Amino acid sequence: MDVMSRREFLFRSAAAGAAGASVLALPKAAVAAEVDTSGSIGTFIDLTKCIGCGLCTDACRVKNEARYPEPVDDIPVNWPTGRYEDWSDKRDLTDRFTPYNWTFVEKVDIDGQQINIPRKCMHCDNPPCANLCPFSVKEKDKNGAVVIDHNGCMGGAKCRDVCPWEVPQRQAGVGLYMKIVPGLMGGGVMYKCDLCTDLLDQGQQPACVSACPTGAQQIGPKEEMKQLAQVRAAGIGGHLYGADENGGTSTFYVSPVPFEQIDKAIARRKAELPEPMQKSVPTMAPDVENYLDTTSGLATSYAIAPIAGVTAAAWAAARAWKGGSE
Amino acid sequence: MSARDTSAPRRILRQSFENRLSHWLIAISTFVLIFSGFGQMPMYARYGIAALPGMAWAADYHLTLAIHYLAGAVLVFAVVFHVLGAVLTERYTIVPRRGDVKESAQIIAAMLGRGEEPPSHKYLAEQRLAYAFIGANILLVALTGIVKVVKNLPGIEMNNTVIFISTTIHNVAAVFIILGIVGHLAAFLIKANRALLPAMFSGYVDRAYAEERHPLWYTELRPEQVEPASMESDT
Repeated sequence: MDVMSRREFLFRSAAAGAAGASVLALPKAAVAAEVDTSGSIGTFIDLTKCIGCGLCTDACRVKNEARYPEPVDDIPVNWPTGRYEDWSDKRDLTDRFTPYNWTFVEKVDIDGQQINIPRKCMHCDNPPCANLCPFSVKEKDKNGAVVIDHNGCMGGAKCRDVCPWEVPQRQAGVGLYMKIVPGLMGGGVMYKCDLCTDLLDQGQQPACVSACPTGAQQIGPKEEMKQLAQVRAAGIGGHLYGADENGGTSTFYVSPVPFEQIDKAIARRKAELPEPMQKSVPTMAPDVENYLDTTSGLATSYAIAPIAGVTAAAWAAARAWKGGSE
Repeated sequence: MSARDTSAPRRILRQSFENRLSHWLIAISTFVLIFSGFGQMPMYARYGIAALPGMAWAADYHLTLAIHYLAGAVLVFAVVFHVLGAVLTERYTIVPRRGDVKESAQIIAAMLGRGEEPPSHKYLAEQRLAYAFIGANILLVALTGIVKVVKNLPGIEMNNTVIFISTTIHNVAAVFIILGIVGHLAAFLIKANRALLPAMFSGYVDRAYAEERHPLWYTELRPEQVEPASMESDT
Protein backbone atom coordinates (compact mmCIF):
# COMPACT_ATOMS: atom_id res chain seq x y z
CA MET A 1 0.00 0.00 0.00
CA ASP A 2 1.40 3.34 -1.03
CA VAL A 3 -0.16 5.43 1.65
CA MET A 4 -1.10 4.32 5.11
CA SER A 5 -3.17 6.66 7.19
CA ARG A 6 -2.27 7.29 10.81
CA ARG A 7 -5.48 5.59 11.81
CA GLU A 8 -4.69 2.60 9.66
CA PHE A 9 -1.19 2.41 11.17
CA LEU A 10 -2.69 2.43 14.67
CA PHE A 11 -5.19 -0.18 13.64
CA ARG A 12 -2.48 -2.44 12.28
CA SER A 13 -0.38 -2.02 15.39
CA ALA A 14 -3.33 -2.73 17.63
CA ALA A 15 -4.39 -5.77 15.64
CA ALA A 16 -0.84 -7.12 15.63
CA GLY A 17 -0.55 -6.59 19.37
CA ALA A 18 -3.86 -8.27 20.00
CA ALA A 19 -2.85 -11.22 17.91
CA GLY A 20 0.24 -11.67 20.02
CA ALA A 21 -1.15 -11.06 23.47
CA SER A 22 -4.94 -11.27 23.20
CA VAL A 23 -5.18 -8.00 25.05
CA LEU A 24 -8.89 -7.34 25.42
CA ALA A 25 -8.53 -3.59 25.61
CA LEU A 26 -7.48 -3.53 21.95
CA PRO A 27 -9.90 -3.51 19.01
CA LYS A 28 -11.90 -6.66 18.57
CA ALA A 29 -10.38 -7.40 15.19
CA ALA A 30 -7.98 -10.05 16.35
CA VAL A 31 -10.41 -11.73 18.69
CA ALA A 32 -13.21 -12.15 16.17
CA ALA A 33 -16.37 -13.46 17.73
CA GLU A 34 -17.94 -16.67 16.55
CA VAL A 35 -21.01 -16.31 14.38
CA ASP A 36 -23.63 -18.83 13.32
CA THR A 37 -22.98 -19.16 9.59
CA SER A 38 -25.08 -22.22 8.93
CA GLY A 39 -27.69 -20.28 6.96
CA SER A 40 -28.15 -16.89 5.31
CA ILE A 41 -26.21 -14.15 7.02
CA GLY A 42 -27.45 -10.62 7.61
CA THR A 43 -25.85 -7.41 8.82
CA PHE A 44 -27.61 -4.94 11.07
CA ILE A 45 -26.14 -1.44 10.98
CA ASP A 46 -27.39 0.93 13.63
CA LEU A 47 -26.61 4.45 12.46
CA THR A 48 -27.40 5.84 15.93
CA LYS A 49 -24.30 4.02 17.17
CA CYS A 50 -21.87 4.69 14.33
CA ILE A 51 -19.37 7.36 15.37
CA GLY A 52 -17.68 7.47 11.97
CA CYS A 53 -14.29 6.36 13.30
CA GLY A 54 -13.56 4.44 10.12
CA LEU A 55 -12.03 1.43 11.85
CA CYS A 56 -14.28 -0.75 9.71
CA THR A 57 -12.66 0.71 6.60
CA ASP A 58 -9.19 0.17 8.00
CA ALA A 59 -9.95 -3.40 9.00
CA CYS A 60 -11.29 -4.13 5.53
CA ARG A 61 -8.19 -2.69 3.89
CA VAL A 62 -5.84 -4.68 6.08
CA LYS A 63 -7.81 -7.88 5.60
CA ASN A 64 -8.08 -7.56 1.82
CA GLU A 65 -4.84 -5.81 0.92
CA ALA A 66 -3.31 -8.95 -0.52
CA ARG A 67 -6.19 -9.21 -2.98
CA TYR A 68 -5.97 -5.66 -4.27
CA PRO A 69 -5.15 -5.28 -7.96
CA GLU A 70 -1.57 -4.69 -9.03
CA PRO A 71 -1.92 -3.38 -12.58
CA VAL A 72 0.81 -3.32 -15.17
CA ASP A 73 2.75 -0.05 -15.46
CA ASP A 74 1.58 0.55 -19.00
CA ILE A 75 -2.18 0.14 -18.76
CA PRO A 76 -3.67 -0.36 -22.23
CA VAL A 77 -6.02 2.36 -23.47
CA ASN A 78 -9.41 0.96 -24.38
CA TRP A 79 -10.32 1.11 -28.05
CA PRO A 80 -12.29 3.00 -29.26
CA THR A 81 -13.20 5.02 -26.17
CA GLY A 82 -9.64 6.09 -25.45
CA ARG A 83 -10.30 5.67 -21.73
CA TYR A 84 -9.56 3.27 -18.91
CA GLU A 85 -10.25 3.23 -15.19
CA ASP A 86 -7.17 3.35 -13.02
CA TRP A 87 -7.43 3.81 -9.26
CA SER A 88 -3.97 2.46 -8.49
CA ASP A 89 -2.62 5.94 -7.81
CA LYS A 90 -5.59 6.72 -5.54
CA ARG A 91 -5.22 3.83 -3.14
CA ASP A 92 -5.40 6.11 -0.15
CA LEU A 93 -8.96 7.22 -0.89
CA THR A 94 -11.15 5.98 1.95
CA ASP A 95 -14.31 8.05 1.43
CA ARG A 96 -15.80 6.11 -1.49
CA PHE A 97 -15.80 2.74 -3.21
CA THR A 98 -12.69 2.01 -5.23
CA PRO A 99 -11.01 -1.25 -6.22
CA TYR A 100 -8.80 -0.56 -3.19
CA ASN A 101 -11.56 0.42 -0.78
CA TRP A 102 -14.50 -1.92 -0.41
CA THR A 103 -16.21 -0.23 2.52
CA PHE A 104 -16.29 3.36 3.76
CA VAL A 105 -18.21 5.65 6.07
CA GLU A 106 -20.42 8.20 4.35
CA LYS A 107 -20.87 11.26 6.53
CA VAL A 108 -23.84 13.50 5.90
CA ASP A 109 -25.22 16.49 7.70
CA ILE A 110 -28.99 16.37 8.18
CA ASP A 111 -30.33 19.53 9.83
CA GLY A 112 -27.16 19.97 11.86
CA GLN A 113 -26.99 16.33 12.89
CA GLN A 114 -24.11 14.26 11.52
CA ILE A 115 -25.16 10.83 10.37
CA ASN A 116 -22.40 8.29 9.71
CA ILE A 117 -23.29 5.52 7.32
CA PRO A 118 -20.92 2.56 6.84
CA ARG A 119 -21.33 1.61 3.20
CA LYS A 120 -20.51 -1.75 1.64
CA CYS A 121 -22.12 -4.23 -0.68
CA MET A 122 -25.71 -4.89 0.41
CA HIS A 123 -25.52 -8.58 -0.69
CA CYS A 124 -28.95 -8.64 -2.33
CA ASP A 125 -31.43 -11.48 -2.19
CA ASN A 126 -31.70 -11.55 -5.99
CA PRO A 127 -28.52 -9.76 -7.04
CA PRO A 128 -28.77 -8.24 -10.55
CA CYS A 129 -24.96 -7.90 -10.62
CA ALA A 130 -24.47 -11.67 -10.34
CA ASN A 131 -27.52 -12.68 -12.36
CA LEU A 132 -26.67 -10.39 -15.25
CA CYS A 133 -22.94 -11.05 -15.42
CA PRO A 134 -22.47 -12.15 -19.06
CA PHE A 135 -19.99 -14.84 -18.03
CA SER A 136 -21.55 -15.79 -14.67
CA VAL A 137 -18.27 -15.20 -12.86
CA LYS A 138 -20.05 -13.56 -9.96
CA GLU A 139 -21.88 -15.85 -7.62
CA LYS A 140 -23.91 -15.90 -4.47
CA ASP A 141 -22.56 -18.09 -1.70
CA LYS A 142 -24.83 -20.17 0.52
CA ASN A 143 -24.38 -17.61 3.29
CA GLY A 144 -25.75 -14.92 0.97
CA ALA A 145 -22.44 -13.24 0.14
CA VAL A 146 -22.21 -12.09 -3.48
CA VAL A 147 -18.66 -12.79 -4.62
CA ILE A 148 -16.70 -11.85 -7.77
CA ASP A 149 -14.29 -14.35 -9.32
CA HIS A 150 -11.37 -12.01 -9.96
CA ASN A 151 -9.76 -14.57 -12.27
CA GLY A 152 -12.76 -14.78 -14.61
CA CYS A 153 -13.90 -11.16 -14.66
CA MET A 154 -13.42 -9.24 -17.91
CA GLY A 155 -14.21 -5.87 -16.33
CA GLY A 156 -17.15 -4.85 -18.51
CA ALA A 157 -18.61 -3.10 -15.46
CA LYS A 158 -22.15 -4.17 -16.30
CA CYS A 159 -22.50 -5.25 -12.68
CA ARG A 160 -21.86 -1.68 -11.58
CA ASP A 161 -24.44 -0.39 -14.05
CA VAL A 162 -27.18 -2.73 -12.84
CA CYS A 163 -26.39 -2.29 -9.14
CA PRO A 164 -28.60 0.41 -7.59
CA TRP A 165 -25.61 1.43 -5.48
CA GLU A 166 -22.86 1.08 -8.09
CA VAL A 167 -20.88 -0.98 -5.61
CA PRO A 168 -18.45 -2.95 -7.84
CA GLN A 169 -15.48 -0.85 -8.96
CA ARG A 170 -13.18 -1.43 -11.90
CA GLN A 171 -9.42 -1.50 -12.08
CA ALA A 172 -7.80 -1.63 -15.51
CA GLY A 173 -4.52 -3.30 -16.33
CA VAL A 174 -5.17 -6.53 -14.44
CA GLY A 175 -6.96 -9.81 -14.97
CA LEU A 176 -8.10 -12.07 -17.75
CA TYR A 177 -8.53 -9.44 -20.47
CA MET A 178 -4.80 -8.68 -20.31
CA LYS A 179 -4.19 -12.23 -21.58
CA ILE A 180 -6.61 -11.97 -24.52
CA VAL A 181 -6.68 -8.76 -26.55
CA PRO A 182 -6.09 -5.96 -24.03
CA GLY A 183 -7.33 -2.63 -25.27
CA LEU A 184 -9.75 -4.18 -27.74
CA MET A 185 -11.92 -6.24 -25.42
CA GLY A 186 -12.63 -6.11 -21.68
CA GLY A 187 -11.51 -3.40 -19.33
CA GLY A 188 -10.10 -4.85 -16.12
CA VAL A 189 -11.48 -6.56 -13.06
CA MET A 190 -14.34 -5.55 -10.76
CA TYR A 191 -13.78 -5.41 -7.01
CA LYS A 192 -16.14 -5.14 -4.08
CA CYS A 193 -16.94 -6.35 -0.57
CA ASP A 194 -17.42 -10.13 -0.37
CA LEU A 195 -18.70 -10.03 3.23
CA CYS A 196 -15.42 -11.73 4.20
CA THR A 197 -17.04 -14.96 3.08
CA ASP A 198 -13.80 -16.81 3.89
CA LEU A 199 -14.09 -15.72 7.53
CA LEU A 200 -17.80 -16.58 7.58
CA ASP A 201 -16.90 -20.07 6.36
CA GLN A 202 -14.76 -20.39 9.48
CA GLY A 203 -17.58 -19.15 11.67
CA GLN A 204 -15.94 -15.75 12.17
CA GLN A 205 -17.24 -12.24 11.73
CA PRO A 206 -16.26 -10.06 8.76
CA ALA A 207 -13.31 -7.75 9.46
CA CYS A 208 -15.44 -4.58 9.44
CA VAL A 209 -17.93 -5.95 11.96
CA SER A 210 -15.34 -7.23 14.40
CA ALA A 211 -13.45 -3.92 14.16
CA CYS A 212 -16.47 -1.80 15.09
CA PRO A 213 -15.79 -0.40 18.57
CA THR A 214 -19.38 0.69 19.26
CA GLY A 215 -21.34 -2.33 18.10
CA ALA A 216 -22.96 -0.28 15.34
CA GLN A 217 -22.50 -3.27 13.06
CA GLN A 218 -23.77 -6.71 14.00
CA ILE A 219 -23.78 -9.87 11.97
CA GLY A 220 -25.75 -13.06 12.40
CA PRO A 221 -28.60 -15.15 11.00
CA LYS A 222 -30.35 -12.94 8.46
CA GLU A 223 -33.88 -13.10 9.84
CA GLU A 224 -32.58 -12.41 13.32
CA MET A 225 -30.69 -9.32 12.12
CA LYS A 226 -33.73 -8.12 10.22
CA GLN A 227 -35.87 -8.45 13.33
CA LEU A 228 -33.29 -6.64 15.42
CA ALA A 229 -33.32 -3.81 12.90
CA GLN A 230 -37.11 -3.69 12.80
CA VAL A 231 -37.36 -3.62 16.57
CA ARG A 232 -34.68 -0.95 16.80
CA ALA A 233 -36.34 1.18 14.12
CA ALA A 234 -39.68 0.92 15.90
CA GLY A 235 -38.05 1.64 19.25
CA ILE A 236 -36.47 4.91 18.18
CA GLY A 237 -39.21 5.92 15.77
CA GLY A 238 -36.57 5.60 13.09
CA HIS A 239 -36.30 4.28 9.57
CA LEU A 240 -35.26 0.97 8.03
CA TYR A 241 -33.29 0.54 4.80
CA GLY A 242 -32.31 -2.63 2.98
CA ALA A 243 -35.17 -4.98 3.83
CA ASP A 244 -37.17 -4.22 0.70
CA GLU A 245 -34.80 -2.21 -1.48
CA ASN A 246 -33.71 -3.90 -4.71
CA GLY A 247 -36.14 -6.71 -3.93
CA GLY A 248 -34.56 -7.33 -0.50
CA THR A 249 -30.97 -7.40 0.72
CA SER A 250 -29.10 -8.89 3.64
CA THR A 251 -28.01 -5.52 5.05
CA PHE A 252 -30.38 -3.65 7.35
CA TYR A 253 -29.74 -0.02 8.23
CA VAL A 254 -31.61 1.79 10.97
CA SER A 255 -31.50 5.56 10.92
CA PRO A 256 -32.99 8.25 13.14
CA VAL A 257 -33.63 10.40 10.04
CA PRO A 258 -35.53 9.44 6.88
CA PHE A 259 -33.43 7.83 4.15
CA GLU A 260 -34.93 10.27 1.63
CA GLN A 261 -32.92 13.00 3.37
CA ILE A 262 -29.78 10.88 3.51
CA ASP A 263 -30.19 10.04 -0.18
CA LYS A 264 -30.50 13.72 -1.11
CA ALA A 265 -27.49 14.68 0.98
CA ILE A 266 -25.34 12.00 -0.68
CA ALA A 267 -26.62 13.01 -4.10
CA ARG A 268 -25.42 16.58 -3.45
CA ARG A 269 -21.90 15.34 -2.63
CA LYS A 270 -21.95 13.01 -5.60
CA ALA A 271 -22.93 15.82 -7.96
CA GLU A 272 -19.92 17.85 -6.88
CA LEU A 273 -17.47 15.11 -7.88
CA PRO A 274 -16.00 15.01 -11.38
CA GLU A 275 -18.01 12.68 -13.65
CA PRO A 276 -15.68 9.66 -13.66
CA MET A 277 -15.64 9.67 -9.85
CA GLN A 278 -19.40 9.87 -9.39
CA LYS A 279 -19.94 6.15 -9.78
CA SER A 280 -17.90 5.53 -6.64
CA VAL A 281 -20.33 7.26 -4.28
CA PRO A 282 -23.58 5.35 -3.79
CA THR A 283 -26.82 7.13 -2.96
CA MET A 284 -29.53 5.53 -0.78
CA ALA A 285 -32.74 5.86 -2.75
CA PRO A 286 -35.57 4.31 -0.73
CA ASP A 287 -37.56 1.52 -2.36
CA VAL A 288 -35.14 1.31 -5.28
CA GLU A 289 -36.38 -1.37 -7.67
CA ASN A 290 -34.56 -4.47 -8.81
CA TYR A 291 -33.24 -4.48 -12.37
CA LEU A 292 -34.81 -7.91 -12.86
CA ASP A 293 -38.38 -6.97 -11.88
CA THR A 294 -39.48 -6.50 -15.49
CA THR A 295 -37.97 -9.74 -16.68
CA SER A 296 -39.48 -11.66 -13.78
CA GLY A 297 -42.85 -10.71 -15.27
CA LEU A 298 -41.72 -11.73 -18.74
CA ALA A 299 -40.59 -15.13 -17.47
CA THR A 300 -44.23 -16.25 -17.65
CA SER A 301 -43.86 -16.30 -21.42
CA TYR A 302 -41.58 -19.33 -21.02
CA ALA A 303 -44.46 -21.24 -19.50
CA ILE A 304 -46.81 -20.16 -22.29
CA ALA A 305 -44.43 -20.67 -25.26
CA PRO A 306 -44.04 -24.48 -25.02
CA ILE A 307 -47.78 -24.97 -24.47
CA ALA A 308 -48.51 -22.81 -27.49
CA GLY A 309 -45.90 -24.78 -29.44
CA VAL A 310 -47.53 -28.11 -28.54
CA THR A 311 -50.96 -26.78 -29.51
CA ALA A 312 -49.73 -25.44 -32.84
CA ALA A 313 -47.87 -28.69 -33.60
CA ALA A 314 -51.02 -30.72 -32.86
CA TRP A 315 -52.96 -28.46 -35.21
CA ALA A 316 -50.33 -28.86 -37.93
CA ALA A 317 -50.22 -32.63 -37.47
CA ALA A 318 -54.00 -32.87 -37.72
CA ARG A 319 -53.83 -30.87 -40.92
CA ALA A 320 -51.17 -33.23 -42.32
CA TRP A 321 -53.11 -36.35 -41.33
CA LYS A 322 -56.08 -35.02 -43.25
CA GLY A 323 -53.90 -35.04 -46.36
CA GLY A 324 -51.92 -31.86 -46.05
CA SER A 325 -48.67 -31.00 -47.68
CA GLU A 326 -45.02 -31.98 -47.29
CA MET B 1 -50.60 -40.80 -59.32
CA SER B 2 -46.87 -40.31 -59.32
CA ALA B 3 -45.15 -37.03 -60.07
CA ARG B 4 -44.04 -38.24 -63.43
CA ASP B 5 -47.63 -38.88 -64.46
CA THR B 6 -48.42 -35.18 -64.25
CA SER B 7 -47.96 -33.51 -67.56
CA ALA B 8 -45.12 -31.02 -67.35
CA PRO B 9 -45.65 -29.60 -63.89
CA ARG B 10 -44.02 -26.22 -63.46
CA ARG B 11 -43.32 -26.14 -59.76
CA ILE B 12 -43.02 -28.52 -56.85
CA LEU B 13 -44.18 -27.74 -53.32
CA ARG B 14 -41.04 -28.19 -51.22
CA GLN B 15 -41.76 -26.38 -47.96
CA SER B 16 -45.14 -26.53 -46.27
CA PHE B 17 -46.65 -23.52 -44.56
CA GLU B 18 -45.66 -25.07 -41.22
CA ASN B 19 -42.04 -25.47 -42.30
CA ARG B 20 -41.85 -21.93 -43.57
CA LEU B 21 -43.51 -20.61 -40.41
CA SER B 22 -41.09 -22.39 -38.09
CA HIS B 23 -38.09 -21.47 -40.27
CA TRP B 24 -38.91 -17.76 -40.28
CA LEU B 25 -39.93 -17.61 -36.64
CA ILE B 26 -36.63 -19.26 -35.72
CA ALA B 27 -34.67 -17.06 -38.12
CA ILE B 28 -36.19 -13.77 -37.01
CA SER B 29 -36.14 -14.58 -33.30
CA THR B 30 -32.54 -15.80 -33.59
CA PHE B 31 -31.43 -12.56 -35.22
CA VAL B 32 -33.19 -10.55 -32.51
CA LEU B 33 -31.64 -12.83 -29.87
CA ILE B 34 -28.17 -12.41 -31.30
CA PHE B 35 -28.46 -8.62 -31.33
CA SER B 36 -30.05 -8.35 -27.88
CA GLY B 37 -27.71 -11.05 -26.58
CA PHE B 38 -24.63 -9.09 -27.58
CA GLY B 39 -26.38 -6.19 -25.88
CA GLN B 40 -26.05 -8.13 -22.62
CA MET B 41 -22.32 -7.68 -22.91
CA PRO B 42 -21.26 -4.13 -22.37
CA MET B 43 -20.34 -3.67 -26.01
CA TYR B 44 -22.83 -1.36 -27.71
CA ALA B 45 -21.79 1.59 -25.55
CA ARG B 46 -18.11 0.67 -25.67
CA TYR B 47 -17.92 0.21 -29.43
CA GLY B 48 -20.03 3.21 -30.36
CA ILE B 49 -23.09 1.33 -31.65
CA ALA B 50 -25.28 3.21 -29.17
CA ALA B 51 -23.86 6.49 -30.44
CA LEU B 52 -25.27 5.87 -33.93
CA PRO B 53 -28.44 7.81 -34.70
CA GLY B 54 -31.50 6.10 -33.22
CA MET B 55 -29.43 3.39 -31.52
CA ALA B 56 -29.09 4.80 -27.99
CA TRP B 57 -31.53 2.14 -26.74
CA ALA B 58 -29.05 -0.60 -27.64
CA ALA B 59 -26.95 0.24 -24.56
CA ASP B 60 -29.93 -0.09 -22.22
CA TYR B 61 -29.60 -3.55 -20.64
CA HIS B 62 -33.06 -3.21 -19.23
CA LEU B 63 -34.59 -2.93 -22.68
CA THR B 64 -32.33 -5.37 -24.51
CA LEU B 65 -32.87 -7.97 -21.78
CA ALA B 66 -36.66 -7.63 -22.09
CA ILE B 67 -36.32 -7.99 -25.88
CA HIS B 68 -34.06 -11.03 -25.35
CA TYR B 69 -36.67 -12.64 -23.10
CA LEU B 70 -39.52 -12.09 -25.57
CA ALA B 71 -37.55 -13.25 -28.61
CA GLY B 72 -36.43 -16.27 -26.57
CA ALA B 73 -40.03 -17.19 -25.90
CA VAL B 74 -40.79 -16.97 -29.64
CA LEU B 75 -37.80 -19.26 -30.32
CA VAL B 76 -39.00 -21.78 -27.73
CA PHE B 77 -42.46 -21.75 -29.32
CA ALA B 78 -41.02 -22.28 -32.81
CA VAL B 79 -38.65 -25.06 -31.68
CA VAL B 80 -41.42 -26.97 -29.89
CA PHE B 81 -43.74 -26.47 -32.88
CA HIS B 82 -41.08 -27.66 -35.32
CA VAL B 83 -39.75 -30.66 -33.38
CA LEU B 84 -43.11 -31.94 -32.17
CA GLY B 85 -44.67 -31.34 -35.58
CA ALA B 86 -41.96 -33.48 -37.20
CA VAL B 87 -42.40 -36.24 -34.63
CA LEU B 88 -46.20 -36.32 -34.90
CA THR B 89 -46.13 -36.48 -38.70
CA GLU B 90 -43.05 -38.74 -38.74
CA ARG B 91 -41.20 -36.53 -41.18
CA TYR B 92 -37.49 -36.90 -40.65
CA THR B 93 -36.23 -36.06 -44.13
CA ILE B 94 -33.84 -33.43 -42.72
CA VAL B 95 -32.39 -35.62 -39.98
CA PRO B 96 -28.80 -36.76 -40.75
CA ARG B 97 -28.35 -40.34 -41.92
CA ARG B 98 -25.47 -42.79 -41.84
CA GLY B 99 -22.88 -41.89 -44.47
CA ASP B 100 -23.81 -38.21 -44.66
CA VAL B 101 -20.28 -37.01 -43.95
CA LYS B 102 -18.85 -39.06 -46.81
CA GLU B 103 -21.67 -38.05 -49.14
CA SER B 104 -21.17 -34.37 -48.26
CA ALA B 105 -17.55 -34.70 -49.29
CA GLN B 106 -18.68 -36.15 -52.62
CA ILE B 107 -21.11 -33.27 -53.18
CA ILE B 108 -18.47 -30.68 -52.43
CA ALA B 109 -16.01 -32.49 -54.70
CA ALA B 110 -18.65 -32.50 -57.45
CA MET B 111 -19.14 -28.76 -57.04
CA LEU B 112 -15.41 -28.36 -57.58
CA GLY B 113 -15.70 -30.38 -60.76
CA ARG B 114 -14.44 -33.68 -59.41
CA GLY B 115 -16.81 -36.55 -59.96
CA GLU B 116 -20.58 -36.79 -60.12
CA GLU B 117 -22.91 -35.46 -57.43
CA PRO B 118 -24.66 -38.40 -55.79
CA PRO B 119 -28.46 -38.45 -56.18
CA SER B 120 -30.16 -36.74 -53.25
CA HIS B 121 -33.36 -37.08 -51.33
CA LYS B 122 -35.29 -33.98 -50.29
CA TYR B 123 -32.14 -32.63 -48.68
CA LEU B 124 -28.52 -32.96 -49.67
CA ALA B 125 -26.36 -34.79 -47.12
CA GLU B 126 -24.60 -31.54 -46.27
CA GLN B 127 -27.92 -29.81 -45.70
CA ARG B 128 -28.90 -32.49 -43.21
CA LEU B 129 -25.59 -32.05 -41.40
CA ALA B 130 -25.95 -28.26 -41.38
CA TYR B 131 -29.46 -28.63 -39.98
CA ALA B 132 -28.18 -30.90 -37.19
CA PHE B 133 -25.38 -28.48 -36.35
CA ILE B 134 -27.58 -25.39 -36.17
CA GLY B 135 -30.45 -27.32 -34.60
CA ALA B 136 -28.32 -28.82 -31.85
CA ASN B 137 -26.88 -25.44 -30.96
CA ILE B 138 -30.32 -23.82 -30.96
CA LEU B 139 -31.50 -26.54 -28.57
CA LEU B 140 -28.50 -25.79 -26.35
CA VAL B 141 -29.07 -22.02 -26.24
CA ALA B 142 -32.78 -22.53 -25.66
CA LEU B 143 -32.33 -25.00 -22.80
CA THR B 144 -29.54 -23.05 -21.12
CA GLY B 145 -31.50 -19.85 -21.73
CA ILE B 146 -34.43 -21.29 -19.80
CA VAL B 147 -32.04 -22.19 -16.97
CA LYS B 148 -30.86 -18.57 -16.97
CA VAL B 149 -34.43 -17.24 -16.92
CA VAL B 150 -35.25 -19.43 -13.92
CA LYS B 151 -32.02 -18.36 -12.20
CA ASN B 152 -33.01 -14.69 -12.54
CA LEU B 153 -36.33 -15.20 -10.73
CA PRO B 154 -36.54 -13.89 -7.19
CA GLY B 155 -36.39 -16.60 -4.54
CA ILE B 156 -34.50 -19.06 -6.74
CA GLU B 157 -31.19 -20.27 -5.32
CA MET B 158 -29.43 -22.22 -8.05
CA ASN B 159 -26.16 -24.11 -7.77
CA ASN B 160 -23.33 -21.81 -8.88
CA THR B 161 -21.66 -24.51 -10.99
CA VAL B 162 -24.91 -25.13 -12.86
CA ILE B 163 -25.19 -21.39 -13.51
CA PHE B 164 -21.61 -21.08 -14.75
CA ILE B 165 -21.85 -24.14 -17.02
CA SER B 166 -25.21 -22.98 -18.41
CA THR B 167 -23.87 -19.51 -19.16
CA THR B 168 -20.74 -20.88 -20.83
CA ILE B 169 -22.74 -23.31 -22.99
CA HIS B 170 -25.17 -20.49 -23.83
CA ASN B 171 -22.34 -18.21 -24.97
CA VAL B 172 -20.40 -20.86 -26.90
CA ALA B 173 -23.51 -22.28 -28.61
CA ALA B 174 -24.50 -18.73 -29.61
CA VAL B 175 -21.14 -18.30 -31.34
CA PHE B 176 -21.63 -21.65 -33.12
CA ILE B 177 -25.09 -20.53 -34.25
CA ILE B 178 -23.61 -17.36 -35.73
CA LEU B 179 -21.02 -19.47 -37.57
CA GLY B 180 -23.81 -21.79 -38.70
CA ILE B 181 -25.86 -18.87 -40.03
CA VAL B 182 -22.83 -17.53 -41.90
CA GLY B 183 -22.37 -20.97 -43.47
CA HIS B 184 -26.10 -21.26 -44.21
CA LEU B 185 -26.13 -17.92 -46.02
CA ALA B 186 -22.78 -18.54 -47.70
CA ALA B 187 -24.32 -21.63 -49.33
CA PHE B 188 -26.26 -19.27 -51.56
CA LEU B 189 -23.03 -17.93 -53.00
CA ILE B 190 -23.06 -21.20 -54.93
CA LYS B 191 -25.38 -20.78 -57.88
CA ALA B 192 -26.66 -24.35 -57.79
CA ASN B 193 -28.18 -23.76 -54.36
CA ARG B 194 -30.05 -20.59 -55.25
CA ALA B 195 -32.94 -22.46 -56.84
CA LEU B 196 -33.90 -23.47 -53.31
CA LEU B 197 -34.48 -19.88 -52.18
CA PRO B 198 -38.09 -19.55 -53.42
CA ALA B 199 -39.04 -22.63 -51.37
CA MET B 200 -38.67 -20.69 -48.15
CA PHE B 201 -40.93 -17.91 -49.44
CA SER B 202 -43.64 -19.35 -51.71
CA GLY B 203 -42.93 -22.94 -50.70
CA TYR B 204 -42.26 -23.98 -54.31
CA VAL B 205 -39.16 -24.90 -56.27
CA ASP B 206 -38.72 -25.28 -59.98
CA ARG B 207 -39.69 -28.73 -61.25
CA ALA B 208 -36.55 -29.20 -63.33
CA TYR B 209 -34.37 -28.36 -60.35
CA ALA B 210 -36.14 -30.88 -58.14
CA GLU B 211 -35.85 -33.57 -60.76
CA GLU B 212 -32.19 -32.91 -61.44
CA ARG B 213 -30.79 -32.25 -57.97
CA HIS B 214 -33.17 -34.21 -55.76
CA PRO B 215 -34.09 -37.16 -57.99
CA LEU B 216 -34.77 -39.52 -55.08
CA TRP B 217 -37.20 -37.04 -53.58
CA TYR B 218 -38.75 -36.27 -56.97
CA THR B 219 -39.75 -39.87 -57.53
CA GLU B 220 -41.43 -40.01 -54.14
CA LEU B 221 -43.50 -36.85 -54.49
CA ARG B 222 -47.14 -37.05 -53.59
CA PRO B 223 -49.58 -35.70 -56.16
CA GLU B 224 -50.66 -32.74 -54.05
CA GLN B 225 -47.08 -31.51 -54.01
CA VAL B 226 -46.98 -31.08 -57.75
CA GLU B 227 -48.43 -27.89 -59.12
CA PRO B 228 -50.37 -28.73 -62.31
CA ALA B 229 -49.14 -27.11 -65.50
CA SER B 230 -52.47 -25.47 -66.14
CA MET B 231 -53.21 -24.46 -62.59
CA GLU B 232 -54.25 -20.93 -63.50
CA SER B 233 -56.80 -22.07 -66.08
CA ASP B 234 -58.26 -24.63 -63.69
CA THR B 235 -59.55 -21.99 -61.35
